[in-house]
Amino acid sequence: MNAMFRGKGWSFGFRTTIMLYFIILIVLPIIGIYTQSFSLGWTPFWESVSDPLAWKSVLLTVKLALIATILNMLLGTMIGWVLIRYRFPGRRLLNSLVDLPFALPTAVGGLMILLLLGPNSLVGGLAGKAGIEIVFHEPAIVIAMLFVTFPFVIRAIQPLLEEMDKSEEEAAYTLGATRAKTFFSVIFPTMLPGILSGAMLAFSRGLAEFGAVVLVAGNIPGKTLIASVYIFGEIESNNPQGAAAVSVLLLTLSFLILWTVNLIQARRNGQ
Amino acid sequence: MIINRATSRRLLTLLLVSVLLLAAAGCGNGSQTEGFGADSSVQDGDVTLVIGAYSVVKDAFADLLPQFQSYWYEKTGQKVTFQESYEASGTQARAIAGGFEADVAILAMEGDLDKIAEAGFITHDWKAQPNNGMITNSIVVLGTRAGNPLGIKDWKDLTRDGVKVLYPNPKTSGGAQWDINAIYGAGLKLSEQKNGSKDPAYAKSFLKAVHANVESLDKSGRASMAAFEYGVGDVIVTYENELLARVKKGVAYEIIVPNSTILIENPAAVVDKNVDKHGTRKVAEAFIAYLQSEEAQRLFVDHGFRPVEEKVAMETANRFELPEDLFDISYLGGWAEVRDSLYSKKGIWYQVLAGL
Repeated sequence: MNAMFRGKGWSFGFRTTIMLYFIILIVLPIIGIYTQSFSLGWTPFWESVSDPLAWKSVLLTVKLALIATILNMLLGTMIGWVLIRYRFPGRRLLNSLVDLPFALPTAVGGLMILLLLGPNSLVGGLAGKAGIEIVFHEPAIVIAMLFVTFPFVIRAIQPLLEEMDKSEEEAAYTLGATRAKTFFSVIFPTMLPGILSGAMLAFSRGLAEFGAVVLVAGNIPGKTLIASVYIFGEIESNNPQGAAAVSVLLLTLSFLILWTVNLIQARRNGQ
Repeated sequence: MIINRATSRRLLTLLLVSVLLLAAAGCGNGSQTEGFGADSSVQDGDVTLVIGAYSVVKDAFADLLPQFQSYWYEKTGQKVTFQESYEASGTQARAIAGGFEADVAILAMEGDLDKIAEAGFITHDWKAQPNNGMITNSIVVLGTRAGNPLGIKDWKDLTRDGVKVLYPNPKTSGGAQWDINAIYGAGLKLSEQKNGSKDPAYAKSFLKAVHANVESLDKSGRASMAAFEYGVGDVIVTYENELLARVKKGVAYEIIVPNSTILIENPAAVVDKNVDKHGTRKVAEAFIAYLQSEEAQRLFVDHGFRPVEEKVAMETANRFELPEDLFDISYLGGWAEVRDSLYSKKGIWYQVLAGL
């Protein structure tokens, strides 16, 4: 088998197919968006991006995605750790539940948040009495982002923990290191690349989230309107160039982030 | 290990299926059945009418379409089946202008029909029809929770601290443009009372003060009403008919008619290019005329709309409260002026949003 795939014809065929697939599926649409955003030249592009409603929505999105990412890093690391290191009944079930947010249409997630945390629900009612506004304000957007990005960090650190050589930890203890010292100088460094790359993925996914957020955010321009919903609104109101311009901002940001992830992973593999 | 993984996978599938079922059941409640178009088989001479309407008439049409079916069957022996689409008015207008082949367009406002006309799909002068092409009227009112706990009486109360207001986004919803027009117009009226002349700056700051209290800008009038039903907000700015229809169903909302508010007029027209393509002009024209008949107008009244047909209007006048200072779109200079001053790219609405 292997010898067959190494043949020249095969190798060429493979490469071409993959390149074509990649170009049609990923590269062309992205080039399309960049061309669309500059279709009327630099000035309209700049006007679309410097519109206060546009950059406020991007700023809000980045801020909330960042909060969601930090929460994800903390909670995701803990959950991943617990799922690998502890044995308890229901662990396998929990482990398979982690991926559910990926399988569920995000709008359903949004609806659930609306029903569970809305003003008529127990939590929402209590929070409302305490003067905390969840639904239609920033907390709900963060929760929606958390929901859709939940698996990333967990799934990124699990293989690292599983791969980890038990003897390293044992050696640390034998050498007289405390539990905390062992954790921070042996275990944590192993998990760190996973936490970081998971967080980057979660961050760029959070930037782009639409379905869940549109239901739970108030969508008031300049206040609770995030970039993806702003872009949708621009398309709806017949301004494809403006929509593309803001998309370019988001895309560039996401691209930079994913590139960083790649660099981190390359360095990890190099070590 | 393998067995365990298999069971967990099975569990996962089970969970997924149950969640999907739940979601499907949730959607099922909301989606409409196709009327009796679905069970009657299409024969020669049958005709299909594609309806592109704004979201608010959906309930009224559920009653009205079967009536038109039997009316048309008696008259011509032809069976009409319907394909119905309900969207926010602006979205619907864009869809039709963009090639959605609706035979008739029923929209929230003139401007949206004009959009279709500008795209070349409506070629006749639709305003030359009876009642200027309008099929229903209504007014913009305020809806509050049962018993009006915050004591809302007029537009001014919406600017108070801590009052949470709902209206949809005028960029996507035609209904919302009526709402914003009403608030802006009420601001103009207030400035007139104070200084004796219309002051756009005063009206703008009035709109800004109300907007500061807005909790959620939904896509359509329907979505906004749905949010209100979820328990969001204290006051909803919406069509009178939306609230009347809910009150009739037993929901205890309070309807507050502001002192000065705008008269809503909803147009309907045959989409020439599509009816000629489908060969449905006759039935489409009959449908539009039918919407203005006494029978249809009574049905609209049952659903909370104000009638345009004179006789029905006389009969039902006592059912509707007449605001002291009712104005129509001409008070704001007509739709062309409103589109230009309020909803253009850097118009008053944009300035309110951007806080300029």
